[in-house]
This record gives sequence, C-alpha cells and structure tokens, in this order.
Amino acid sequence: LPQGKVPASSILASAPSDKNLDAWRESGCRTTHCNLEVLQESTLVFLATKPHVLPGVLQEIRPAVGPHHIVVSLAAGVTLQTLQRLLPAGTKVLRLMPNLPCVVQAGAMVFARGSGAGDGEAALLKSLLSSCGLCEEVPESYINIHTGLSGSGVAYVYLFAEALAEGAVKMGMPGGLASRIAAQTLLGAAKMMLETGEHPAKLRGDVCTPGGTTIHALHQLEKGALRATVMNAVEAATNRACDMAKD
Amino acid sequence: MSVGFIGAGQLAFALARGFTAAGVLAAHKITASSPDTGLPTVSELRKMGVNFTVSNKETVKSSDVLFLAVKPPIIPFVLEEVGPDIEPRHIVVSCAAGVTISSIEKKLSAFCPTPKVIRCMTNTPVIVREGATVYATGTHADVEDGKLLEQLMASVGFCTEVEEDLIDAVTGLSGSGPAYAFTALDALADGGVKMGLPRRLAVRLGAQALLGAAKMLLDSEQHPGQLKDNVCSPGGATIHALHFLESGGFRSLLINAVEASCIRTRELQHLADQEKISPAAIKKTLLDKVKLESPSLSVASASKVSLFTNKSPSSKKN
Repeated sequence: LPQGKVPASSILASAPSDKNLDAWRESGCRTTHCNLEVLQESTLVFLATKPHVLPGVLQEIRPAVGPHHIVVSLAAGVTLQTLQRLLPAGTKVLRLMPNLPCVVQAGAMVFARGSGAGDGEAALLKSLLSSCGLCEEVPESYINIHTGLSGSGVAYVYLFAEALAEGAVKMGMPGGLASRIAAQTLLGAAKMMLETGEHPAKLRGDVCTPGGTTIHALHQLEKGALRATVMNAVEAATNRACDMAKD
Repeated sequence: MSVGFIGAGQLAFALARGFTAAGVLAAHKITASSPDTGLPTVSELRKMGVNFTVSNKETVKSSDVLFLAVKPPIIPFVLEEVGPDIEPRHIVVSCAAGVTISSIEKKLSAFCPTPKVIRCMTNTPVIVREGATVYATGTHADVEDGKLLEQLMASVGFCTEVEEDLIDAVTGLSGSGPAYAFTALDALADGGVKMGLPRRLAVRLGAQALLGAAKMLLDSEQHPGQLKDNVCSPGGATIHALHFLESGGFRSLLINAVEASCIRTRELQHLADQEKISPAAIKKTLLDKVKLESPSLSVASASKVSLFTNKSPSSKKN
C-alpha cells in the first residue's frame, strides 16, 4: 500500500471475526466475513491463515477456485503438494515465506511455484512483493532453510542487538541510546553488505585496523565460537521447520 | 660477496641451503661457525661445501654480510666476542627473535662507532625457497644495505621491509607459522588415516592441499573467506566439516597462537636485554669450549680453567 503498487480499494480481506479487520478498513481496504467472496472478487488470493486452519479453508473455497486465480499460500509447513492436492487440478499455486520486517518494507521473502504456476505468475508476485523488500524465487526445498536463516533469523538479530546494547550499558552508556545505536549499527552494516556486494569477510577486514579495537573484540567473538553457534541456530530452526511440515 | 653465519643450526643451514639452491651464492663463499661440532646441521653444511669453523672470529673476518643465527639469549655474548672484529664494511644481520636493533647497536658501539645493523625475521621454509622474511634497518644501515639483504632473502622466498615494531608480530605469524602448519598437517593426515588412507598418501595429499590453497590465495585478489565459500557447495561435505572447525573455535585457536608467539617473543627480548642465560646452556657451551681449546686436558681437570671470564662463551644454536 505505501508503495502505491495497488490501490486500497482493490484489496479485499476476509476473516471470521472483526477482530483484525478494523486495521484493514482503516487503511481503506474492503473487508468481508466470507472467504468465497474473496475468491469471487479477486484474481490474486493470499492464504494467510494459521497452518492448521488451512486445510479447512481450502475445502471451503475449492469450488470457487478457477483457472484465472493465482493462489499464494503463506502457511508455514504446508507444502505445494498438499496445496495442489486440496485445490482443483492445474490451479496456479505458489508458496511464499516472508519475514517480519516486511512491515517496514525491508523484508526478505522467498517463493516457490507449483506445477500450475508459470513465469507470468512468478513475475507478478515478485514485482508486487518487491515493494516489501527482497523477494526471490527459489526451489521449494529452500523454504525451510529461509525460515532458519531469515524467518527466525530476525530474532537472532534482536538477540545480538540486545547483547550489544547490554555491553554498552556495562561500559556506562544509557540503555535507550545504546539500543538505538545498536540497531543503527546493524542497519548500516547490512546496508553496506547489500550495496557494495562485497564479501562480509572483506568488509570485516576493512574495519580491522592492525592492533586496534575491532580485532581485539573479534577475537573475543571467535573464542566464544560465535560462528558455530549461529550455524547451529540456523540448522536447528531449519530442522524444526522440516519436522513441523511433516506433522 | 661473502656471507657468514654465527651459529650453524637449523636457521643457518636453511638459509645456506636456500642461497646456494637459488644460485645467488656459491657454497664456498659461505662460512658458518659453532662451538658444537656435533650438531646434525654441521655435517650437512660441510657436505654442501660451506666453510665450517669453530671460531666465530674467523667467520666475521671472512664475511661481508654477517648473520647472527643463534638463540636470542646468546646474542649479547656473541656480540661481545666478535665486536672487536666488526669493520665498517660489515652488515650485521640479526635473525634472533625479540632482539632489538638498539640493543645490538648499543653492544657494538663499544667497538665500532657506526655499526650497520639490520634486524630480520625469516622462517625455515627458506630452505625450499619459500621463506617469509621481513627486515628493518638500523641507524647506520643505508638503503643499499637493506636492498642487498632484500635481494639475498628474496632469492629464498618473499621478503619485504617493515618498521621494527612489527617484527614481533611477524614472528608470531610467519616465524612460528610453519609449526602451526606442520601440526595441522599431522592432524589432517591422522584424519585421512582414520578414514582409511595409508599414512604416506595422507601426508602427501594433506600437504599438497595446503600448498595449493596457499598458492591460490597468493595468486588471487579474492578474500580467503570468498575462496572458502567457493569450495562449500550448499549442504555438502565441506560446509559440514567447517562447522566442526568453527565449533572447536579453530579460528580463535589460531589467533591465540599468533598472539602467544608474539608475546613470548617480547619476553625473550627482555631476557636478551638482561643478558640472562640458562645455567645449563652456559655449562654446556663452556665445557665444549674448554674441550676444544685444550684437547690434552681431561674433563676432570677442566675445573681448573676459569669458567668466569669476561670473554663470552662461544655461541651455540640448536
């Protein structure tokens, strides 16, 4: 919406209760309690329910799904295979995994296409979602990895930011200021990575004056085996995503 | 040009071997001295055609470039002994870890007003002409003197000039570095053997892998992190292995090692400055000197010889 890609009046959201719909209406979107209405009024349909609710919803909307529809599921752990099984044969289905910072247009999203979805649909989705951040098409097998890296990854960053700030507080800086600076540091570093395209190891080296503060600090991080711990975290979250998908 | 080595141990041998193999110096233009003729390197040097003597003074007289290739605590004693024989033409090159240019110049100034001193830190792979050497020039060493040394050392590997205050760090990194590599190679070979390779093959392949990787890095503009990534296929064997290395704190161990070696080097510098030397080392070198100077005396009567003269015991380097 903020990017002006789609006018609010073209967006229709449905939910069983009004609990969440107020926020949509405030943005100028139309709302309804009828899922079928969404199918009737829209071409591009996002399935944004919790995973366990989804099969029921799919059963409900199946009769109204046609060849012109593009169905994009956001449900974690629900495979393309499952989606395609519960929808009419040949339906254009795609699976999308976003992450939280989409709300500030700095998200990291990956999507995978089902057998019925073609280049046109993929291009449409990518173009639309680029307004929310980085959006890349991937093989379905990467989606769980994306969860471990970036879906959950956002939490790792929050943890790291908190720890940075805490270190600063220990050294005498007020917490609020420390927090803001920590966040800006992460933002700036990430921006440099994305804009320069340079290898993070090289960017790291660029900051390390011989015998200076940075290399002393990095030594502490290496002693704590930070790298391995982070790898463990990504692995654990990915494995959990895989396990949950099987349930 | 002739080159002399005070000390006939591993370093002297490695450099002599490297220089002759590189063709920059004929063996007969090299002299090495040590009181300990029993060192294995002594016979190797002799076999090469290097002039070997037990007299440090002789080495000094027959050299233009004089390498001090002895252990750091011995340096002050060596300088006392050969100081009187140092002439303006001499370029004194100290390879001793942690021994500062100023400490050498101070010692020599008693004998020679403007001694040319260069401090250098090299490493044993000079023996296969893949050494890593840095040097810093002293107060009275000219640019040409530095360049001369650089030419010599460049024939046996990489050589560059640095500020003296970096030399301890160089010691920690490339001075000791080959030892870290040997340790790594031993362990890599163990890994290979564990997984079924014959030892010889495992050693050969491990060494070649490190050699190749080092060469790639030296030839490449890329960061080692990038080169590492290039080897790691998603979900593949290598990344699984690397995770183990990271879990074990591999990187920090290496950082620790370089740091420890550098710090120890600085400690050795203080030992040299205080002219402290272990009693065991003094005892052995003096005893040898006594034996050499008075072959007709039995060891039992050696105690009659004054062991505490002002003259330094001959230098010795293992």
